[in-house]
Amino acid sequence: MTGALAVEDVALSFAGVTALDGVSFRVEPSTVHAVIGPNGAGKTSTFNVICGVYTPDRGGVTLGGNRLTGLPPHRIARLGIGRAFQNIALSGRQTVLENILLGRHVLTRAGVIASGLRLPAARREAREGRAKAAEIAELVGMAPLLDRPAGGLSYGDKKRLELARALAMEPSVLLLDEPVAGMNDEETARTAGVIRDVRDRTGVSVLLIEHDMSLVMDVSDRVTVLDFGRLVADGTPAEVRRHPEVLRAYLGGALGDDPGGEPGDTAGGEGRDHDHHQEDK
Amino acid sequence: MSRRVLAAAAAVVLAVVPFYADTSLLQMGLFVCAATIGAIGLNLLSGVAGQLSLGHAFFLAVGAYGYVALAGTDDRAGLGLPTWLAALLAPALAGLAGLAFSPISSRLRGLYLGVATLALVYIGQHVLYSATGLTGGYDGRPTPPLSLFGLKFGDDSGITVLNVPLGQYELLWYLGVALAVLAWWFARGVVAGRPGRGLQAVRDGEVPAAAMGVAVRRAKTSAFVLSSVYAGVAGVLYALIVGRVVPDSFGLTMSIDYLAMVVLGGMGVVGGSAVGAAIVTGLPLLLGRYVDALPLLAEPGSGGVDPSSFARYLYGALVIVLMIFEPDGLAAVARRVRALLPAPPAVRTSPSTSPHPRGGRP
Repeated sequence: MTGALAVEDVALSFAGVTALDGVSFRVEPSTVHAVIGPNGAGKTSTFNVICGVYTPDRGGVTLGGNRLTGLPPHRIARLGIGRAFQNIALSGRQTVLENILLGRHVLTRAGVIASGLRLPAARREAREGRAKAAEIAELVGMAPLLDRPAGGLSYGDKKRLELARALAMEPSVLLLDEPVAGMNDEETARTAGVIRDVRDRTGVSVLLIEHDMSLVMDVSDRVTVLDFGRLVADGTPAEVRRHPEVLRAYLGGALGDDPGGEPGDTAGGEGRDHDHHQEDK
Repeated sequence: MSRRVLAAAAAVVLAVVPFYADTSLLQMGLFVCAATIGAIGLNLLSGVAGQLSLGHAFFLAVGAYGYVALAGTDDRAGLGLPTWLAALLAPALAGLAGLAFSPISSRLRGLYLGVATLALVYIGQHVLYSATGLTGGYDGRPTPPLSLFGLKFGDDSGITVLNVPLGQYELLWYLGVALAVLAWWFARGVVAGRPGRGLQAVRDGEVPAAAMGVAVRRAKTSAFVLSSVYAGVAGVLYALIVGRVVPDSFGLTMSIDYLAMVVLGGMGVVGGSAVGAAIVTGLPLLLGRYVDALPLLAEPGSGGVDPSSFARYLYGALVIVLMIFEPDGLAAVARRVRALLPAPPAVRTSPSTSPHPRGGRP
């Protein structure tokens, strides 16, 4: 166990537009921690700061006391931050199996020469990797799809594959950006089950961005609410649900009455478009 | 099982070719072998890792001239090393050249990388023309014939099998085929393995690749070096086939020919590069061989359409048609044809082929 992920006083702006303004929160080990907020609140930006895609103007992120901010993204990944992207970032021409295996990149070693010459170590590693990938596919319910090209999957399956690939990294903190967007009830329930399972069995902490409020309130141990780049509330689901500032800024009172309410669905659709540009440029 | 039978049959056919083919056919086959190796190398870089390079001819030149200079015993600058050692060191030299360029190449991508690599070709050719002490200038330098374990790859090899004397091209044929198969086998391992997945991830998006722990700059560098080593091997083989290396060969046209091979065969599909190489390299030579028998074609210099121009039109048209109807190249066409053929039994029983509900689920 690597310890808590701490986001400390992070500020970030793009050409004068403030994306994050002094955001701090802690993700304790073996918990599910949700980040919610309206579109443009800075949720995905927070993820990008944690992953090293963006360097904050102020503050930083530590994992178990070690500073992540300032390291290149691939080093942060190797330190145990696994991420599933909001807008699908899979290799479409590769199969489901190969996409999951990419997640094991951080855990494996074979280089060009070992792979090209098929040295015993590389072959063993590949064999183990395939077995592990099949296990993970089983866990998320994609076992029958292993040989399919990822590009041809349905949207819900692509989201599941994103989750599977991040799980394959065997991270100590798993960042999930809207993991159930575009999924039906059955798939959502399955993903919720996977998230709980990951926390309970492997002790991984999960940091979750999600607009589906019933899922958030259902699986989260703690919820952080952002609005316009600022931290509005931070607490247990029950506390957040009652927080007057939260009700006003984000939920318009809907959540207090109906935990499975509508704002999640509409916000989810817009959120995808809105946050898109922040991801891969 | 049937794959093994097929491979064995192919090996037998390739082994007996020198007993039936004449020198010009063998030479043609050898050019295809060299081009296959070079094209696989470029495919690893441009197809698998998604890094556009117009500089492939430069690295071929490093391989070819590297061999000639390392083994050279003529009046130009040369180390006079044993030729087998020179043949090993020249591709390494090309790899080093790729590594030396990587501080630039790993920071650029897309069109910018293409332009930067283009500069390599111009600089390289300028050096080849002007550094006459090393390169022989415009007239080039003769290639020292290769000797391997005391076996001389020349017409005086003294080997006769079944009454057929094995001369320079017969022996080179076996070497060329062996190298091409090895190049293919190695590349397949790389692409299917961990490094290949990393390179493809870089191609499909650098940010997600890095989030998966792929060191993007390092991955690009390794692709560039590997591709340069392949180009170096192709360059050495090319030098051995032509017998004299001249700067004219290593221009932009060569780089573009290699890109055409990769695109025709299928970006990222290793086996496709062999097919692309056969079309781009073999077609003009084949047309040239049968120029008398073919209508519409004229001997070079006689005013009509000569075979090599015609071949260029042909593969140019093929590239355009493919880009419109099948941008993934001939490999994708082959995949489609295979899908149309009746599937062999026993293979198609896994649940992965059962129709999966897509969208519109309850």
